[in-house]
Amino acid sequence: MNTLAMTPARRWMLPALSGRQRLGAALLVLLLAFAWLVPWLSDADPARQQLTRILQLPSLAEPLGTDHLGRSLLARLASAVQLSFGMALLSVVSAAVPGLVLGVIAGWRGGWLDRVLGSLADACLALPGLLLVLLLVAIAPGNFWALYVGISLVLWIEYFRVVRARTRILVTTPQLEASRLLGFGPLYLFRRHLWPELAPQVLTLAAFGAASAILAMAALGFVSVGLRPPTAELGLMMIELLPYYHEAPWAMAQPIVVLFVLVLSLNLLAGRDPR
Amino acid sequence: MSTDLLQARDLTIRGEGVTIAPFSCSLGPGDRLTLLGETGSGKSLIAQAIMGTLPKGLCAQGRLVIDGEAFDAADSTSRRALWGRRLALLPQEPWHALDPTMRAVSQVAESHRHVAGRDRRAAFQAAWSDLTELGLAEAGSKLPGELSGGMAQRVAFAAASAGGAPIVIADEPTKGLDAPRRDAVVELLARTPEAAGALLTITHDIDVARRLGGEVVILRQGQVVERGPAQQVLTDPQSEYGQRLLAAEPSRWPLPKPLGERQAPVISASGLAKTRGGRELFRDLSLTIVPGEIVGVVGPSGCGKSTLGDMLLGVTRADNGEIDRAQGHTLGFQKLYQDPPAAFSPHWRLSRLLDDLVRRHRLDRAAIPPLMARLGLDENLLGRRPGEISGGELQRFAILRVLLLEPCFLFADEPTSRLDPITQRQTLELLVELARERHCGVMLVSHDPALIERICDKRISLEATPSVAKRELDPVMA
Amino acid sequence: MSQALASRTTPRWTAGLGGLLLQRLFQAGLVAWMVGTLTFVLTRSLPGDMAYRIAAGRYGHDMVNTSAAEAVRTELALDQPALGAYFGWLWDLLQFDLGRSLVSGEPVMAELWHQLGHSLGLAAMAVLLSLLLGPPLGLIAGLKPNGWLDRVSEVVASILRALPPFAVGLLLILIFSVSLGWLPAAGHGRSAHGVLPALTLALALAAISSRVARNAMADVSQSAYYAFSRTKGLGERLSFLRHGLRNAAVPVVAYLGVQFVYLIEGVVIVETLFAWPGIGHALVHAIVARDVPMIQGTALIMGLMFVALNTVVDLLCHWLDPRRRSA
Repeated sequence: MNTLAMTPARRWMLPALSGRQRLGAALLVLLLAFAWLVPWLSDADPARQQLTRILQLPSLAEPLGTDHLGRSLLARLASAVQLSFGMALLSVVSAAVPGLVLGVIAGWRGGWLDRVLGSLADACLALPGLLLVLLLVAIAPGNFWALYVGISLVLWIEYFRVVRARTRILVTTPQLEASRLLGFGPLYLFRRHLWPELAPQVLTLAAFGAASAILAMAALGFVSVGLRPPTAELGLMMIELLPYYHEAPWAMAQPIVVLFVLVLSLNLLAGRDPR
Repeated sequence: MSTDLLQARDLTIRGEGVTIAPFSCSLGPGDRLTLLGETGSGKSLIAQAIMGTLPKGLCAQGRLVIDGEAFDAADSTSRRALWGRRLALLPQEPWHALDPTMRAVSQVAESHRHVAGRDRRAAFQAAWSDLTELGLAEAGSKLPGELSGGMAQRVAFAAASAGGAPIVIADEPTKGLDAPRRDAVVELLARTPEAAGALLTITHDIDVARRLGGEVVILRQGQVVERGPAQQVLTDPQSEYGQRLLAAEPSRWPLPKPLGERQAPVISASGLAKTRGGRELFRDLSLTIVPGEIVGVVGPSGCGKSTLGDMLLGVTRADNGEIDRAQGHTLGFQKLYQDPPAAFSPHWRLSRLLDDLVRRHRLDRAAIPPLMARLGLDENLLGRRPGEISGGELQRFAILRVLLLEPCFLFADEPTSRLDPITQRQTLELLVELARERHCGVMLVSHDPALIERICDKRISLEATPSVAKRELDPVMA
Repeated sequence: MSQALASRTTPRWTAGLGGLLLQRLFQAGLVAWMVGTLTFVLTRSLPGDMAYRIAAGRYGHDMVNTSAAEAVRTELALDQPALGAYFGWLWDLLQFDLGRSLVSGEPVMAELWHQLGHSLGLAAMAVLLSLLLGPPLGLIAGLKPNGWLDRVSEVVASILRALPPFAVGLLLILIFSVSLGWLPAAGHGRSAHGVLPALTLALALAAISSRVARNAMADVSQSAYYAFSRTKGLGERLSFLRHGLRNAAVPVVAYLGVQFVYLIEGVVIVETLFAWPGIGHALVHAIVARDVPMIQGTALIMGLMFVALNTVVDLLCHWLDPRRRSA
């Protein structure tokens, strides 16, 4: 039986991307390449001040100019993108994994476990997300981990709810019942039946979640309750450069453009309109 | 001939890989025309071309005369002024055709008010009397989600015909309805020609066409295969396809090989009872199924046919009673599903799914090719995904999948209700043959009593009445 | 016919509301508990001698002495064991005794009362503006999916969604205040001051609600019941009014509940950016100044505002969608 031997090696399904998602992925890759290549190719330090060369126009030595303390904007932007993206990735992973696992368990098992987990999620949703993050940040000001915990705590619920609702429907479908009757175990059922259905939704949520994590961090930086100077962070950079708008509009524009492209690429990658 | 109500001359439809050959018809007062054909024969497109509701990418050509007025079929907007007033369309799935957020009576009343031009009070009065006449007095203040399929069909009928249109087009009006409901809809449809209107019906159901009478047109892949009076076409068709279609009617199927000697039962149950949603489905139900035996289950929708089978498989628990399954067959109790694509994960190639099964139970791969040949499955199909092959092929693949586990009992839950008649006959014949050969007991559910009558050794009929619901196994075959 | 008459009484739209309101009441309690607990943890986790620092903040560094610090210590119950203090803290909260601001010395309730008015005014203006902009645009776009209006509004919405509210606000300030000089950038007093902050919030809200409305309308206009209402002879206008609008409105209104999360978050950011003297501005200030009673008060009011807005959405959905009443 030749055809049986010829099955593709793929064991886990990854969703196929649409044109708009590919555009988003390409933008994101470009931005990340920028963030990780800059420190590798140039030795500029995002924190080094040179008060003799403040607010300089872009030049050969400083391709993006300098800020009000003479720091290299190129180095600062690269560092800020690394920080934002790293935090977003970390909080998305630590929200998606428990969200997915608990969602599948709750949707599959049902009963009291489902009710307990459901109430837990509702409790986390009682406060608007940013408010919860703000309160946690107030406890530990300027702390990266407080931000991270707060954002993950808000994000996991989304995964949990979507996965639970979808799983609850899927476990009653004929396809799952058929495979169960054919003698397959839970791991197989998850891999062949649940995951292919859940993966596109989880990817969408992950991209939206990363975007909102980045926005939240920048927003807190912008209102001066997030990370503290001299950290290179996009929101912080905006508020620091705002007073110099007249002298150096290009400097002010840079963090806004970078944040815009970062969030836009993630929104495009998410693929669908929010629902 | 008197003046025609509906006339189509050389109506053609083109676009996106669809071609409907020139079609002509003329219907006078009291005339009935039925377009009969399987899915994909283009029968619904003809109705849409007449209405002017073809999907994007398709365009119609030809001349139409509707109630004395001439139209160019290519201009799809020109008939909109006729909708509801001279041309009424009964929608395909009435359940989805009613606004889910509006009560039934309002949906009828708005036709009376805005199409027939009555005032608000008179419109509601007319709507209530329509509904009462159709036996729906109770349903008027309900939302569509609370109506049954048959009730929704009648509400849609009342809403569509409130404008008093003399020409009625019914697109698959009996889809998803069981036998008694289907007959009721046919009666409803017959009112239009009786009141000197014209009726154009689109259906895949030969029985509906026969009951409606009038003229019948058999369509296949956009071509008119045969046309003529229903009496003649549906008893003695001239075309080869027409003959095959008719031969696919269960009452004309050849009788299956008789069941030989009765062996020890593969499954037996006694005193089964089940209540669902506060309603008793059945009580004190007993049955036995021996190897190779085909047991049919009939009954109206919602009477617990599927629940009974699931109980035998151990998927659903019985409230009461005992089930004895033959020993030594842990994987011997299998199921075939109503909607073949729903029983497969759509994301994987069939070869992978088959491979999973072979590996999971260390099956003998050598058994696969002969069985595939037997089921008429080409090896190329294995490279495709479940959604990429036809429903009939997929159902046969499902049979292949369960037979590899050498089952002793198979619960077939309306396995052919989504297939066209010719494929249905072919699939069931194979199933019966293989069951006899491999000594597998089958419990076959169907909404078509004629089918059960024809191929089953025994019959269980469940009734909708809440209290009593059991007839003991009468051998229907002499 | 008498049977028919009897069944004509349709259930009132308020049927089945009780459970819903009870759930929201429970949520309000949960909000109060969470805010109370988190701010309590906050007081206990502040580094150094809290009482001294707060007293210094309140009376100035020169004036601070042991008795002032003691007064603060008693006020915040810093001298009591944690568990007892925690219950005392929640008990005060239950009685709406929010204490005095550590910065201004005024009762928190009085300050909140003043700020709440400003915030509600801003939020109401923003929601109104966004409702005027978003859903109508979305409904029209949804009637012709993939038409030019749909494409253009999609691109604009994508851009707006990728710009955080503070960046939108910043751009608006730069365009309308700094470059054109048409509108004041910050402050409060004249109605012109409210235009830019409200517009900033409204644009962010409308970017999303227009897409939700568009998708809802596209779903409805492709549905079998919409097609049926047209073929039964109601015509485009009546079909849209009688069947399109209500069905498309259900998801749009339901989504408003999600949007209020953005609204509350936006209020914090936008008020700070425009120096609008509302709750969000006060919260940020309190966090910077570590003014615990004010943090508690502002967070509590914003949380309760969120619950109240969601209750309004529940009521609206209930009224719009009869399916919810029978369920």
